[in-house]
Amino acid sequence: MKKLFREFFKGVIKENPTFVLALGLCPTLAVSTSVVNAVGMGAAATFVLMGSNAMVAMIKNNIPAKIRIPCFIVVIATFVTIVEMVLKAYTPGLNRALGIYVPLIAVNCIVLGRAEAYASKNTLMNSLFDGLGMGAGFTLALTLISSIREYFGSGKIFGYALSHKFEPVSIFGMPSGALLVIGILLILFNRLKGRKS
Amino acid sequence: MKNKLTVNISPHLHNNESVSKIMWIVGISLIPAGAAGVIIFGLNALTVMILGILSALVTEWLMQLLAKRRITILDGSAFLTGLLLAYNLPPGVPLWLPAAGSFFAIAIGKQVFGGLGQNIFNPALVGRVFLMASWPKYMTTFTKPLNFDAVTSATPLAVLRESGVIENISYLDLFLGRRGGCIGEVCILALVAGALFLFWKGYISWHIPVTYTAVFAAFVYAFGGDGLFRGDWFFHILTGGLILGAFFMATDYVTSPLTRKGQVIFGAGCGILTAVIRLWGGYPEGVSYAILMMNAATPIIDRFTRNRIYGTMIPVNRK
Amino acid sequence: MVKLREHKKETENKAIEKLAAPAKVYIPLSQHIGKPCEPLVKAGDYVHLGQKIAAAQANVYSPIHSSVSGKVAGIQDWPHPVLGRCRAIVIENDGLDKLPGSQACRPSEEINSLGPDKVRDAVLEAGIVGMGGASFPSHIKLNPPKPVDTLIVNGAECEPYLTGDYRLMVERTEEILKGIELIAKCLGVKNVIIGIEDNKPEAIEIFSRKSQVTGPMAMVCFPTGKAASYKIKVLKSQYPQGGEKQLILNVLGKEVPSGKLPFEIGVVVHNVSTVFAIYEAVYCGKPLYERVVTVAGSCVSNPGNFLARIGTPFKDLIDPRGLKEEPAKIIVGGPMMGIAQFDDKTPVIKSTTGILLYSKKEALLNEELACIRCGACVRECPAFLMPTLISLASKKGLWPQAKVYGASDCIECGICSYVCPSNIRLVQHIKRAKLEVAR
Repeated sequence: MKKLFREFFKGVIKENPTFVLALGLCPTLAVSTSVVNAVGMGAAATFVLMGSNAMVAMIKNNIPAKIRIPCFIVVIATFVTIVEMVLKAYTPGLNRALGIYVPLIAVNCIVLGRAEAYASKNTLMNSLFDGLGMGAGFTLALTLISSIREYFGSGKIFGYALSHKFEPVSIFGMPSGALLVIGILLILFNRLKGRKS
Repeated sequence: MKNKLTVNISPHLHNNESVSKIMWIVGISLIPAGAAGVIIFGLNALTVMILGILSALVTEWLMQLLAKRRITILDGSAFLTGLLLAYNLPPGVPLWLPAAGSFFAIAIGKQVFGGLGQNIFNPALVGRVFLMASWPKYMTTFTKPLNFDAVTSATPLAVLRESGVIENISYLDLFLGRRGGCIGEVCILALVAGALFLFWKGYISWHIPVTYTAVFAAFVYAFGGDGLFRGDWFFHILTGGLILGAFFMATDYVTSPLTRKGQVIFGAGCGILTAVIRLWGGYPEGVSYAILMMNAATPIIDRFTRNRIYGTMIPVNRK
Repeated sequence: MVKLREHKKETENKAIEKLAAPAKVYIPLSQHIGKPCEPLVKAGDYVHLGQKIAAAQANVYSPIHSSVSGKVAGIQDWPHPVLGRCRAIVIENDGLDKLPGSQACRPSEEINSLGPDKVRDAVLEAGIVGMGGASFPSHIKLNPPKPVDTLIVNGAECEPYLTGDYRLMVERTEEILKGIELIAKCLGVKNVIIGIEDNKPEAIEIFSRKSQVTGPMAMVCFPTGKAASYKIKVLKSQYPQGGEKQLILNVLGKEVPSGKLPFEIGVVVHNVSTVFAIYEAVYCGKPLYERVVTVAGSCVSNPGNFLARIGTPFKDLIDPRGLKEEPAKIIVGGPMMGIAQFDDKTPVIKSTTGILLYSKKEALLNEELACIRCGACVRECPAFLMPTLISLASKKGLWPQAKVYGASDCIECGICSYVCPSNIRLVQHIKRAKLEVAR
């Protein structure tokens, strides 16, 4: 159990996909304009990560090494399709907001990266928790970035306008603003990590 | 021997130039343009400048404190960044705008890269572009000049972009700054005076500013009119921030190439990019974007314009 | 290339003054590029003035002679102006300047009939090295592995403060011309060019006059009437005009290939002081045991040019001059390439062109700041390098990068540090890179 927790927390802090591995930056730039989008994207990615990690861990011994990447992609695409259908059915608004980035989870480097680097070498439970941890880390990072961007970019938080008067800094609503925020957070993150080690 | 002797490696002479001396002299050369701005737009322009400078100094101090670097706010570089940023703002902006711009310019444009000498982009222009992207409303609202018969409150370039025709404004008015525009860019006379002072002091050379202006003028002349070689290049030189940019921003040591050859390429690139943005781009003005883009190209220009080392690839006869 | 403040006014009109030999001389065993010498004498021996006291078994070396007559007190470790410390022969001066037998001057008929080999031997025996500072044994430069066609005599003396070469040119013009003739004959060259900076009009004038011409760049005859094409080239006063490679470029418009010596392009360069020493060695049989040293700097009340014995401790040179204030820095050589000393007991050696005494204010070191990429070093570098990039690579330990930027082509003239507004010790960083690249 302890080991599983370690697998989980590894993805949140030590190997945070956004701040440490710097994977999956395209969706990060695109959907982190508002917290709602970010959490939706994070949840979808977490589901796909867990599903694909578990599936890959189960079938890893039956996949020929030479065609493992296409196999992973097929597995991932399956879960992405499930997510997309669920989103379309139950949260059409969020689906519209995320747009093309939902199907694009299929090519998100985090998902394929974990399948290749972790799930294909580890047991089912470990992989499941690795996927959960990575997903949680991704969601956390997205939430952090998007709350900053939403607050500065539009003067709102979780879609609610703030009461005090505030001139929104529109650059935070643009992808360049996302890069800035990620950059600054990376500085802080590395600073904190550097202090620890 | 009573004294202990100082022992260090040669040379034991120095020409007594220093970074802060260069920075402050560039600052002095900018005084006429600022004075003209205040005369043309009123005391509000002065407030904008002061706030820009103050914010730049405070940010520099804070960032150096945070990064545990040596505090060098008196070396004049932060002062210059704040001043140049203020020169690139319309005179009527809300007063928090120059402060925010200077903060961004110093914090993100300069200190994040490691401080003076390490920044890739001209900090003042980084600040300006940040303001343009963040609060375009304020950055494109120009007030009327105070003491002259103002023809319009929009800049001549904005009028050109909106209506497609050059408004009826005399070259003399443009030269003296009787037009809408940013604080430091309107009075060409004052800018040229400051630039001449810098040339005389030897702190800038002709390579960047002259190539910049000449290539820009040639390009506008060729493609800027209705038909080839019918563009009003003189109007384009006198309007917008071209002179300010070419002589004071593009010549920034840190962000321009090291060699003369590289500087000519840099200037030419700035000229073409500015002309392209002005003639066909989405903005009426392109100086800051052009310079920033060439800043980004500086490392690669440096790489391909390295000096030929003495005694290598020898030409037959150099004389 | 940069025009420096020259500081030459204080000494340039002071005639060379012969200095009394000190009570004790300390003669280092290594005063040249090449193998250090081994002593030929031991403690207690009596040596004559000009007696050979140290030599080595090697091709590249130069023997060392006693600069006084007296008893050898011992051989001991002693401060050395270039190497820091070095073994030195200590001789107690008996004040008699006794010569070994008769130091007879060769009659001029004999000089004219001397073959190149004889001249070379005389130069080797006299222990003559490049006296402009490099201290490369001169007899080797008289015997280049390839035939050469041009001899350049270096009278540029571009370092500030130093005026020793200038005084020699003015006071000993004929001797120098005779020395030039000797060398030209020895090398078999057709072109002889004397390069003099335009801040020495008197030297230019006197050379032109003595060789029966007026104005620079004229074809003249040797004093003996032998025809040879021989010019005076007036050079702009700028530093480092006297650097061998820069001199060749500015006189001939040719560059010495990177990593090669000047003879590769058929050129040999000799300093005027060396030329004078060669004259003395061949005509008078006098070994190199004394040389002209400029003593100057803001601390000296009575600066000047002095003919000092090799091995004279600086203290004996400085003290009689009178000090305005206690020096905070002692520099041997010029201010641009000279070496700061940690001791005033260090002796004069064959390559000591000058001794500069700096006050506390001048010795002050400014703090090194970040490079602002102003490009001054890139513009002024006489080797056309990009010093700031090499220094940056050096600071980060990127030796391959430093090599690509041409660290090994640096001549260490110091211009880059001189012009740097950030006070970066570029020369220091580049020297470091040079060592690492050579490794």
